Amino acid sequence: MTTATEITDATVREVTEWLFTEAELLDAGKYREWLDLVAEDLSYVVPLRVTREREADTDIVEGMTLMDDDWDSMEMRVLRLETEYAWAEDPPSRSRHFVTNVRVAAGETADEVAVKSNLLLYRTRGDVATFDILSGERHDVLRRVAGGYRLAKRVVVLDQTTIMTHNLALIM
Amino acid sequence: MLRNELRQILEKGLHDVEADWTVPAAIINDPEMHDAERERVFGRSWVFLAHESEIPERGDYVVRYISEDQFIVCRDEDGEVRGHLNSCRHRGMQVCRAEMGNASHFRCPYHGWTYNNKGSLVGVPAGREAYGNKLDKSLWQLKPVPKLDTYKGLIFGCLDPDAQSLDDYLGDMKFYLDIVLDRSDAGLQVVGAPQRWVVDANWKLGADNFIGDAYHTMMTHRSMVELGLAPPDPKFALYGEHVHTEHGHGLGIIGPPPGIPLPEFLGMPENIVEQLQRRLSPEQVEVFRPVAFIHGTVFPNLSIGNFLMSKDHVSPPTSFLTLRLWHPLGPDKMEIMSFFLVEKEAPDWYKEESYQAYVRTFGISGAFEQDDAENWRSITRVLGAQYAKKMELNYQMGRGVYEPDPDWPGPGKAFPMDYAEANQRNFMEYWMQLMVTDPAPHNKNGKVSDAAAAEALTRAEA
Ligand code: FES
Ligand SMILES: [Fe+2]
Repeated sequence: MTTATEITDATVREVTEWLFTEAELLDAGKYREWLDLVAEDLSYVVPLRVTREREADTDIVEGMTLMDDDWDSMEMRVLRLETEYAWAEDPPSRSRHFVTNVRVAAGETADEVAVKSNLLLYRTRGDVATFDILSGERHDVLRRVAGGYRLAKRVVVLDQTTIMTHNLALIM
Repeated sequence: MLRNELRQILEKGLHDVEADWTVPAAIINDPEMHDAERERVFGRSWVFLAHESEIPERGDYVVRYISEDQFIVCRDEDGEVRGHLNSCRHRGMQVCRAEMGNASHFRCPYHGWTYNNKGSLVGVPAGREAYGNKLDKSLWQLKPVPKLDTYKGLIFGCLDPDAQSLDDYLGDMKFYLDIVLDRSDAGLQVVGAPQRWVVDANWKLGADNFIGDAYHTMMTHRSMVELGLAPPDPKFALYGEHVHTEHGHGLGIIGPPPGIPLPEFLGMPENIVEQLQRRLSPEQVEVFRPVAFIHGTVFPNLSIGNFLMSKDHVSPPTSFLTLRLWHPLGPDKMEIMSFFLVEKEAPDWYKEESYQAYVRTFGISGAFEQDDAENWRSITRVLGAQYAKKMELNYQMGRGVYEPDPDWPGPGKAFPMDYAEANQRNFMEYWMQLMVTDPAPHNKNGKVSDAAAAEALTRAEA
């Protein structure tokens, strides 16, 4: 039988540090290093939302998503960026992940923690003096391994139904 | 009224697209061109609104657009598909503010006028006190889409009450649409809801890309070629057909290069293959058998992608079907609505694989899709400038290289390879014909009749 992790101040600090380090890697375009922080049973989902009346149970759509990746498809994204022809990100966007409101809770197993955080992702491309912003809430499952944590699961619930950027080429 | 300068650009364009196989860059990103296009193209064409499977039950609705006008597309209490302008007859308020749902009635949040899903005004608060018995409710129903019709599950609307029928409008394109839409007994279903996103690009670039541009694959999608997700043979589109029909529609149909063992019929599951061989005509089966990629556009802004692709670099390919709507938001902005559809009767494993292949390649985050939007955005920005606008764009591919294919079993004008720009020229020519053809009363039945088109062409050539 497994028992859930007890969440100590140290755990919160470690997890927060992990999220900030991850953000730094992503903003620096170090995707290969980012992949080292990801578990091999990764599930990475960005749900599709629609505008529904308040009385609707949920505005999250069943059966369709904006992104639905596992380890193999994430590796494909990274391999793609490593070719010389990933035009959508070459030249790369300048991005900034703002990660706040970190909330750490016990995970389902002893070696996992459930982490919620808010994300503001700023993106700008080329010499155009405009920018795109994505805002959302991340629901992560981090797994403790020797020497740190691995991202096992991430759900990014974005705050827009019609997405105001021309593609989701960045990892959120 | 079309300003003289615009008319000159378009009439010269009509001449050049025939004579020189070029297209004026000014049609891409120009505010006046866009204003004229709203009325002359989107005001007269049949525009895709929704798929019937999105509103399967009585009361189901989605809100969709033709140009700026928004319509509630719903299935009424009798099961009939309807389209109502989403605007209250009292002051014009939106009567429906959700994107989708189920409702027997729409109540206006401003003063409370209430309409049923047939569009009839059925409730007016304090009606007797405020209006006496003078308000004839039957005169104040929600405005219907002037013309609404469906073809094999696709619901289209048209703002021109005098337009030709949807059936005539689709014409020969139906032969090819059926291969995609009508190949299974229970038909297609839209899974979930469309992804929606905004791209700073002119909508015609999406339509132009899907109608015929197999040529961009080897460069735009080269990253995916290197990962083995797109054909490594740079000449892969030679093993295809390039077909267009009247009213600007067109498509490309590509099979596997010789020696590449790809499954027949896009590798669709056995039960669907059995059904399609029964449902489609022998000619349609012959056209469909070797297919690995179908890309096409129904004029003006509905495109189809039916591709055999892998969900990642280590998995075998699965086919998927996407419809996409290039909804114009301005000369330099469009909303893409991307639908994923699958045969209702396909086995679950296929539905799952097909969904994953779609989301990861051609959805908003898809490894192919990303690079397309990047190009269209860049083109739009560049062609918005005054010097760039004066360019002609080269639509000369295939000139002196190919002749129409006499052996092609399908209708339309077909060429025996998909490295061609005949579809794109046909699209642009029809678009320019609509643009120079003045609306009624000059052209009373509202369609570009062959006579009017010919007249425009003669004017341009003179
Ligand atoms: S605007 Fe709808 S009731 Fe007044
Ligand atoms: Fe493409």
